[in-house]
Order: sequence, then structure tokens, then C-alpha cells
Amino acid sequence: MALTIAVHSYKGGSGKTSFAINLASAYASVGKSVCLLDVDLKAPSSFNYLLPEAKHWVNDIFEGRYGVMDVIKDVSKEMGTKGAFYVGYSNPDILAVREVSSKDRKWQSKALKLLMTAKRDLSDAGIDVVILDTGAGVDFTSVNAIAVADYVISVGRPGASRQRSMEQVIGGVYMPLDKDCYIIENMCHNDNPTDLSGKKFDLPVLASIPCMCDVAVRCDNEVLVLTEPDHSFSKKIYDVMESLDKITS
Amino acid sequence: MTDNSSTEEMIRLLREISGKLDRILIQGSSDNEPDDGILDVLDVMTLLTLPDHLRTTATALFELGSATADELAERTNKERAVESNYLNQLVRMGHVAKNRKGRKVYFSIGEGLGK
Repeated sequence: MALTIAVHSYKGGSGKTSFAINLASAYASVGKSVCLLDVDLKAPSSFNYLLPEAKHWVNDIFEGRYGVMDVIKDVSKEMGTKGAFYVGYSNPDILAVREVSSKDRKWQSKALKLLMTAKRDLSDAGIDVVILDTGAGVDFTSVNAIAVADYVISVGRPGASRQRSMEQVIGGVYMPLDKDCYIIENMCHNDNPTDLSGKKFDLPVLASIPCMCDVAVRCDNEVLVLTEPDHSFSKKIYDVMESLDKITS
Repeated sequence: MTDNSSTEEMIRLLREISGKLDRILIQGSSDNEPDDGILDVLDVMTLLTLPDHLRTTATALFELGSATADELAERTNKERAVESNYLNQLVRMGHVAKNRKGRKVYFSIGEGLGK
């Protein structure tokens, strides 16, 4: 069974997508077969245009037009990874985004079923790790993916207000869906040491990544774990991967 | 109070009443939603509102796609009779569909076409 991880954040701009791309790349670089899916249909990241284009969209999976294996594209050659590195993109065209935003609950129920099927198909195809880059906040684009995942990694910037909202999403979404969840504190500052794991749930913090200006700029143009594996950001990502390996083994 | 100010006061009150009527009309139209039959759809947000035992059963059924009570009990590590009871509760709520194939009864997440 493929290990399925949903990368989520309660608020936008937490560095969720950069974390997801780099974690997927870290797995692929050590020879794991990886699939990274952008399931944020309402605000597609297209992985910051870092990865080569594909013919079909993740939207096609949710619409039942194509199976996941028709949608994903192996970019391992272009990215130079040891393991297979499949990616699937959400359609960034505004018409597609508007269409998704108007979908009703019945469509969302069907979308959840199709995403469950996609997870099974990826497992059957021999994928080791599936990473779902979800939408921020609590709506169907994020909660459907969380429901499908085995593990949830919640990425957040430390701060008292964010700690409160993190507790809300843990108690109101992750726990009721019976998920094992872990926290990544991103863009941490020494003068704001608030621990995001909170007092109420005390979830494990897999990494506290310091705020680094060069990371914010470079993550738009390159995948740091591949271009500079010795960078302190890349090392943190590899540490997370090793921690996850221990947790899941 | 001058004529002008009382007229202004009346207009202000009429606008307030009109606003309240609009809100009542909007409220009324959303109360009609059950007639559409779509409230029975088991989407993930509805799943979150279910009591723990039914949510576990429904989540397992989402994962399996279609399953007998036996298959579901195996997944959730509960007694078959218990799972059968939960599944039938979900059927009565309109969230789950029940189909007989030969001697076996299969449950699946419904399409939300009403109870």
C-alpha cells in the first residue's frame, strides 16, 4: 500500500507547496517511487511552474474523465531523480477554477470516491509515496484529500493566533477523520517561539524550519533538495523524510 | 419634528423592514433545501458531523467503495452484527445504498438521489 500524505495548512502562505515539492523530490532522490498531486483545484499552484507540463489535469480525475494513471506524468528524467517522480497538476485556467468553485455537495461526494479510487490505482501501480498538496483552510479541496490520506502534515508559521486555529483544525477535522497528524513549523523566528503543537493535543513537531529569505525566493525557481541538498532547508526536509520513515516502518 | 424629518424617518423604517423581509425570504428558500433531496448526500463535511461510530463505518465504506457487512467488519475490527446495524442506520439516513447480488448484500455510498 502506498504511503499517502496530505500536506495541509490552516492558512495560506505557510510554505505548504514548497514543502510538498521538496518532500516529494527528497523521496524520489533516494530512489522511492513518488507521486505528487496538486489537489488544490480552487487555487492551483502548478507547482510554481517548476516541473514539466502534463497533458491532462487532476480536474479530469475528479470529473471521472480520466484515471489517475492517465493524468500523472513521470518527470524523473527532467528532475534527475533516482526513483520515478510522477506529478499531477490542477488546471490553473480561471474557467476551470470558477467551474470547481461552483460544484455542489453531490459532486464533492463523488470527487471523494474518485480520489479514493485514485489512491488505490497508485498503490496498485507500485507507487511508494503519494503526496497530496491540498488547499489551505477547511473546504472540500482540502478535507477530501485529508480524508483520503493516511497521514496529515500540517504546515504553519508559529504564532499565538495560528496555534489557536491549528487546534481548531486538529480537533475539528484531523481527529474526527482519525488521521495521524504531524506538524511542520515553517518560517520560524527566534523571537516568536510559540509551539504550534499546542497544549490541547500536543502533536509531534517533525521540523522547525527557520525563516530564510533565500528559500522564499529560490523555491520559486528551483527545487532546493535537488539543486542544493546541503542547504539547511534541504537538510530539514531530509530529516522529515527520515522521521516519517521511522514512524511508518 | 418637521415634516421632512418624519418623512426621512419613515423611509428609514421602510428600508429596515424591506431588509428584514429580504433576509426572511433568503432564510425561507434555504429551509426548502431538503425538498431537493440533496441533503442525503454523504460528502466529507457531512461525514464530519456524524457520531464517531457511524463516521468510522462510513469512512471505511468510502475506502472500500462497495462492501458487505462482513468485509466492512474486517476493515473496522468490529463484529459483523454491529457493522450491519450501523450500515442500516446509514441506509435509513439516506447516506448509503443497499443492493442485493445473489445471496450477498452490498453497501455503497449513495448518489444522493433521496431517501
